Amino acid sequence: MNIQEFLLRNIKIATRAFSSVGAFVALVLLIVGVTIAQPHFLVYGNIMNILSQWAPVGVMGIGMTFVVIIGGFDLSVGSIYALCAVTSAAIGQSQSPVIAYVVAIAVGFVAGTLNGLIVTWLRVNPFIATLGSSLAISGVTLILTGNAAIVVNNPSFGILGANRLGGFPYSGMLMIALFVILGLILAFTPYGQSIYAVGGNADASRLAGIRTFFVTGSSYAISGLCAGIAGCVTASQLSSAQATIDPNLVFNVLTVVVLGGTVLGGGRGAVWRTAIGVGILATLHNGFNLLNINAYYQNIIQGFVIVAASASVDWSRFLIVRSANPLNVPGPEDQLFGNQDNKGE
Amino acid sequence: MTVSARTPEFALRIRSMSKTYPGVRALDGVTLDVMASQVHGVVGENGAGKSTLMKMVSGAIRYDSGSLEVFGTPLPGGEPHRAADAGVAMVYQELTVVPEMSALGNVLLGRLPSRAGVVWRQKAHADFDNAAKSLGFSIDPDCRAGDLSTAEQQLLEIMRALSSQRKLIILDEPTASLGPEDVRRLHSVIDNLRSRGSTFMYISHDLGAVLEICDVVTVMREGRIVETRPAKEWSRSDLIHAMLGSHSLAATTPRQGSTDIGEPLFAIEGLRAPGVDVPSLLLWPGEIVGLAGLVGSGRTRLLRTIAGLNMASTGTLLVRGQRVKWPRTARQAVKYGIALAPEDRKLQGLVLNQSAAWNVALGQFKRGGGGYFVSSKRFISWATSFTSRLGLRIERLGRQVGTLSGGNQQKVILSRLLARGVDGLLLDEPTRGIDVGAKSQVFETLRELANRGSAILWTSSELDEVVANSDRIIVIAGGRVVAELPKGSTVRDVLEHSFTGVEGERQKVEAGA
Repeated sequence: MNIQEFLLRNIKIATRAFSSVGAFVALVLLIVGVTIAQPHFLVYGNIMNILSQWAPVGVMGIGMTFVVIIGGFDLSVGSIYALCAVTSAAIGQSQSPVIAYVVAIAVGFVAGTLNGLIVTWLRVNPFIATLGSSLAISGVTLILTGNAAIVVNNPSFGILGANRLGGFPYSGMLMIALFVILGLILAFTPYGQSIYAVGGNADASRLAGIRTFFVTGSSYAISGLCAGIAGCVTASQLSSAQATIDPNLVFNVLTVVVLGGTVLGGGRGAVWRTAIGVGILATLHNGFNLLNINAYYQNIIQGFVIVAASASVDWSRFLIVRSANPLNVPGPEDQLFGNQDNKGE
Repeated sequence: MTVSARTPEFALRIRSMSKTYPGVRALDGVTLDVMASQVHGVVGENGAGKSTLMKMVSGAIRYDSGSLEVFGTPLPGGEPHRAADAGVAMVYQELTVVPEMSALGNVLLGRLPSRAGVVWRQKAHADFDNAAKSLGFSIDPDCRAGDLSTAEQQLLEIMRALSSQRKLIILDEPTASLGPEDVRRLHSVIDNLRSRGSTFMYISHDLGAVLEICDVVTVMREGRIVETRPAKEWSRSDLIHAMLGSHSLAATTPRQGSTDIGEPLFAIEGLRAPGVDVPSLLLWPGEIVGLAGLVGSGRTRLLRTIAGLNMASTGTLLVRGQRVKWPRTARQAVKYGIALAPEDRKLQGLVLNQSAAWNVALGQFKRGGGGYFVSSKRFISWATSFTSRLGLRIERLGRQVGTLSGGNQQKVILSRLLARGVDGLLLDEPTRGIDVGAKSQVFETLRELANRGSAILWTSSELDEVVANSDRIIVIAGGRVVAELPKGSTVRDVLEHSFTGVEGERQKVEAGA
């Protein structure tokens, strides 16, 4: 091995290592930076507030992670979230909160399943499919509610969103529990591996006997389910819900997924990465608020951060690709001669 | 049961199966029985329908009419998981590796063992190790599959099929990128599994291997079964005769005229790049130079470096005696008249869903389309002047290039280079996955281009091919030129120099260490 090859190999290892822990390093640096600038950031009460505040985005980010790893995209999570929030509030007015949540989550699951069917059976590009369903679902929500806020007076409806155990919000616990459960499912079950397989090479997976329709469709169902849970959390936090509850939510959800290092296009990513993405975005927002930075500047910075996060991943690929293997194709020079035993002409 | 001892069990029964693609009858009433516990070979020219037939058995594609039974289970086609449940595993000709997943994940794709709903890692590793051991293949189960070489990826796929415990295993050109040692091991694993009751279907262009390993061999031609016989009753020439039907094998035309020692078309001096070190390489107009080398000898890397696809390269290039800047992009190299026809036509050479004419025009749409407004008609009429020289029929130009045979796809790429005025042609595995008839056509085309003054540098992993079809052979090892052999050298000569070269490299490394 000459020096050049040695360097290339190390660049390769370093860039790979960076792309796998870079997001984590960024989160730690960000927390340290914000804490130095504003020591009130890293205190128990503030962290618990952040957990409660970001629980809906975090939960939806988990579902989105599944969809993005499978090579898809879900633009409709914001609409499903609003529909489910409204549903749970409407039912919660007269029924017990548990019934309200179960029905609302079921609605989210069904909506996600429909997305899945559109993407798999009708073979619609996921971007278009979920853009369409997003519009349709928010239309339905608006018709059902007339865009009036639905207020729930039953105090037990608010327990999930507002109550805490020793200062630890139930909503934050729910988010963490879902991160753990769905993270384990994705990482350690055959089903989770088939999500990576389909996202990495759908053809190969189909030919290997994986039911790609089911796997793909189910990822959208999970995304819808998560949006349903997030809707319940928000409705409970506010003890009310409205059709136009948070129209830009989908962008935050995508941001947390991408910030963690899950790659649009599929095959790579993880739920724990999304947790880190939530941490980064929440720290940014909360830190800026504590530092009294204008919300418009926050938008600018968030925009830069999301582009920079993706660029760092692709930059490492660029380095690898350009240095060692221009088209990033496994070197066919590593082959033996075909069939030299076979000369019997 | 005693009954089954007398009546032979069928692993696969296909009845009058047909499949039509737009404009092509891929399969025409195929009826075929495959006995259990046998190795059944299928041979035929490319486009004979072998792969299509196999893909129907594995469920990768649907059939139009007919019926299909695997161990008595009727299969509707088009549903790979049902075929898998019925006991079919297949190694496809095209690699179907998931690059982002680990080697382990790829071998156990779709059937990871689980315990209590969670992936059972110990069992998975044991399964992987067993499969690897039986093939004598050592590989880190956790390494990323996309980082492996083509040969290693191919072995992963073979491991995937062999370790699946399924009863009917279809191997479509499994040895295309394997070395002789790996092929030998594969064959012994097949032998072993057959004796334990597995049934194999073995498709290969390597007739020697087919006759050696198979019990029964079926020949296909133009979507039909020509004949099925026990392997003992076939000879190599019988097989070729049955495969080709009426048209026969043309021998490659030798080089016309003697070497006209004028100026070299391209002179490469002091070329250095990671894994490449070539002090001097001269290419004369009118000659076909074969590049031969063993595993990891850097054949592809050298070709890519000369074609400007290696940023980290330095050297001097003289084009017709004119010193020019060493090319570091493909665009620069094309300007000097050097271009590479890459090994992987489908991934690196063609936009598969576009027409053949469009692909000829790729990179020069303005010229090919006759101005700022392009039309497929103009593309076709423009492309014809190049494709007709290579014997590509005009009615094929409007078709999607992905539907053409490998040989015709190769011609599309060569036409493109021709149209760009490239006279330094670098070809990486131009004959890979191409049948015998189309191969000799490719060589005729190359000879034709050389006679018009091009210099051709090409490589193939089939050494006999390189020896038979080159005017001069350059043997490389470890990225260095270790020998230059004249026409008429034998495979043995090349191997001797290769191995000596490899040993030399190793000694150098050992001395340096």
